[in-house]
Parts: sequence; C-alpha cells; structure tokens
Amino acid sequence: MAGLGTAAAAGYLAAAPAATPSVAAVPVADFQDIGTGIIPFHGERQSGITDEPPAHGSFVALTLAKGTDRAALGRMMRLLTDDAVRLTRGEPALGDTDAELARHPARLTVTFGFGPGLYRAAGLESPVADLPVFSIDRLQDRWSGGDLVMQICADDALTVTHTQRMLIKDARPFGAVRWVQRGFRRSAGVHKAGFTQRNVFGQLDGTANPKDAEMAAAVWNADHSTQLVVRRVRTDIETWDLLSVGDKENSTGRRMESGAPLTGEAEHDEPDFERTDSTGLPVMPNFSHVTRAHVTDPKLKILRRPFNYDEAPDAQGRPDSGLVFASYQADIVRQYLPIQRRLAEKDLLNEWTTPIGSAVFAVPPGCAEGGWIGERVLA
Amino acid sequence: MLFVLVPGAPAWAHNALAEASPDKKATLKEAPAEVKLRFLQKLDPEYTIIAVSDSTKRKVAASEPKVDGTTGVITIEEELANGVYTVAYQVVSTDGHTVKGSYEFTVANPTATAAPSEAPSEEPSVAPTTEAPSVAPTLAEKSDESDSSGSTLIGIIVGVVVAVAAVAGFLFLKRRKA
Repeated sequence: MAGLGTAAAAGYLAAAPAATPSVAAVPVADFQDIGTGIIPFHGERQSGITDEPPAHGSFVALTLAKGTDRAALGRMMRLLTDDAVRLTRGEPALGDTDAELARHPARLTVTFGFGPGLYRAAGLESPVADLPVFSIDRLQDRWSGGDLVMQICADDALTVTHTQRMLIKDARPFGAVRWVQRGFRRSAGVHKAGFTQRNVFGQLDGTANPKDAEMAAAVWNADHSTQLVVRRVRTDIETWDLLSVGDKENSTGRRMESGAPLTGEAEHDEPDFERTDSTGLPVMPNFSHVTRAHVTDPKLKILRRPFNYDEAPDAQGRPDSGLVFASYQADIVRQYLPIQRRLAEKDLLNEWTTPIGSAVFAVPPGCAEGGWIGERVLA
Repeated sequence: MLFVLVPGAPAWAHNALAEASPDKKATLKEAPAEVKLRFLQKLDPEYTIIAVSDSTKRKVAASEPKVDGTTGVITIEEELANGVYTVAYQVVSTDGHTVKGSYEFTVANPTATAAPSEAPSEEPSVAPTTEAPSVAPTLAEKSDESDSSGSTLIGIIVGVVVAVAAVAGFLFLKRRKA
C-alpha cells in the first residue's frame, strides 16, 4: 500500500509541473555573513536594549536559592558577566564543553535584569515593584516573577541555545530556573534594518517606538540604568481569524497591510484622533489600541522590544501563540503603568489577547572591561 | 437531546440596531433631549459610541453614552435648532465584530425661528475635511440609513426557521421509529 501511495504521489508530482504554470525561481543574494556580527558587551549601558532586535530572543528568569546573600550575588554576577563577555565576542565560555558552538555570535547580546527579590536578598531597596494586577490579567505563576533575568538575543537560534546553556550552568549554584520564554522575530536579511516587525496577528508591532533623540529620554536614566517589563500575552488566534480585515483594523486603529493609522496613508503618519467620518463617528475609534496607548511626550514613551512565541498547538490544532512582550523604559511607574492602565480599562484588542505572565526588572548600567554587571549595586 | 439541534454560536450573530428614538427619518415638532438606541445584543459601555451631528457636520454637544443592557442613551447638551441631524453609532458585537450605522432625523419646530445658521466659527478644523480614504466599506452606500449588519435579522429568521424545521424533523423521525 505504501509503495502504491508513493508511486501515485510521484506520478502526481511528475505531472504537476506540466499542468500548472511554473513560478520563476528567485535566487537568494550571495551568502551574507550574519554569523560573525558582534555587538560590544562593554559600555556605560548594557547592550540588547536600544540596538536593533535580532531574530531570536530568550528570557531566562531565576529564583535565587535561599540564603543567597549580597556576596554570593556578587560572585554569581562576576561569573555570568565573564560568560557573557566571552560568548558575545564569539569565544567559548570558561569550561565550555562545546566550544565550536560559540564561534558564531551572530550579534549576540546578554542583558541582565534584577527583580525585586534580588534586592531583597541583597538587603537593598528595589527600584522596581511587581505590577498591580489588571482586570484583563490571567497570570500564571509559571510565567511570572523572577529574581534575575537574562535576556539572550542573537540572529541565530543555536547561538541563543548555546549561550543559554552556558549561563544556566553557571547560575545553577545560586538559584533555580523559574521560567524561560523564547521568541522570534523576522530573520536577519528578510527586511532592511529599521523595519517594524509583524506579530502573530499580522500587525506591524512597534511603530510608535521612540526614535533617535527620543530614545534616550524614554529609556535611560542618568546613571545609565533602565527598567524592563516582560509580559507573556497569549493571542486567541481562533477568534481573531473570524474577523474581517476591517474589524481587525478597528481594534487597533491601524491598517493591517501598511500599519498606517486609519486617518493616514503611511505607517509613520501621526494619527488624527479628532477626524470624523461623514456620519460624525471618529475615524480612529476611541476604543482602538492605538487611541488608548498613544503618547506623544518622549519621556512617557516606552521602547517595545517584543518577540513572538509559537508553541505546539493542542490536539485540536488550536495554536499556542502570542507575544513575549518586553518593554524598556527609564521608569516603569512613570511610563509603562499609565499606558497599561488605559489599555486594561479600554482596548478592543483585549478581546483577543490575554496577559498570562508578568515580571519586572531593574536593569543596572553596563560595565567596563574587567568590571561586572551589577557592581555598582552589589559591590 | 434538543440542544444538539440548536445552532451554536453562528457566524452571523452580529449586533444590530433594533429600535431608535428619535426614530429613523422622524420629523419632530420639538427638539429631542436625548437619543436612545436599542440593539439586539447587550452593549459593552467601553465599546459604544453614539454621536449626533447637524447638517454642517458639526458635532452636537452630548454626554457620553449611558449603557443599560441592550440600550445606549446620550443626553443632548444643547438646544437643537430646526434642521436635519445625523445619528451615528458604533458598537461592538459579543464576537468582537464592529457594527457602524447612521440615520437622520429632522427637527421642525413650528414656533422656532430660523433654521440653524452656518457652521460655527469657533471650530473651523471640524469643517468637512478631505474624505477619509476608506471608512468601513459598509458605509459606502449613500442612503439616509446605513447599517453594516442589515442582514442580521434575515439571518436570525433563517436560523430560527432552520432550527424549528430540524427539531420537527427529529421529532417526526423519533415518533416513526417508536
């Protein structure tokens, strides 16, 4: 039977080209060396924040072991910093058992964030506090909280995997893995740099991000620290699929194809919230995502740096997809909270999205060669 | 057993306007103090917009909609002069589908003096801007009443007829078997 089936399939395949008009092959550009790309680890500010997000990201959150004190935290951060320094350069970590996996950094960055629990363990006051619970939240412990986060990003999934393995190996004596959230964006070479990525809903995601001069005001504090919010947002693809394009656009206030606001033509046109249609209705509905999230003051903007996730569907074929939402802002309370409060109160997009994980981290400044991340906090 | 035959959440279960006051195309001898719209489905106060504008497309001052079950009410906060007004609404069905619609009514108070004067000078920016590239395509039809879910009632009627027929058929077969 199997043989018959194969023969039939082969026959079909052989016949197919004659029956259907062939599509001309488009040659891919010559080999583009993405593997050797390096983003310097050392600096006043940590990397992996305002640089262009690469194709793959992994967020690893740890729960510190009981009794991990400030001195132990210092030892841990020296060790992890050393790993990150070597791996981001394309060199194996100390004791790397698969050194050849380290040779293609592919713009690897490792960014460390400290949760409220780490400050508690160190006997210090935390600059960040857990977010209040929003009415739309359906948070699960398995995606929430964390004392330390390591954000590992690169243009190559195997590089992320290897880096994650090395870092967890060295972090293990100090704590347990609380959660790992892996995500992806468009691969390097699919778009020109500076493109706005699409999420699993097909929406352009990140159009309103601060740019150029605005970036510093939104992201960095005077001491070169910043703050990170990680939220796991599940998308209900099944019900989203039932909507027409017009309904989808009403929920966000942007066109699906171009990302332009409903009052504009191009992605980066400023939305006009005063514009009404011929019957007197606002063209940008007051419940659309963009209307609710819009901020103009750069000091109140947030830098969205999310990754899509797509786990295995269930037995019925229903997707387990969504967004590992990550945003960087100088001050979560000043910038992130007001936006999230407005969205929780009213945002039509909430009908198809559910936050199932939530965590906050203070991101300490970077370090110079020979230094370590967190030295100014923990030393 | 019966529930098996009743259609589940049908794709056409979109919300639609059931009753309006002032009524569609009504000519009123007295300016209305409120606009009350009743829909087929429960409204979500967060996702309900009701707007009234005059013939110059100036938005009439009105309260935010007060929602009670399937009904949304706005209180008109100015004296409406004689003339034609447009009521426009945008609501969201339980399945997330946006329903937009509009209709006109006329105020013709015999004791009132002149019809509304020209567009108010204080807000020139609201004057008819260039037509939005494409408002919901369902609004394209230029009638004095438009509702993007016009087929809803027909859909419901068809659904009910089908369901009743199915139940009848089922009972008939069951009886014959017995």
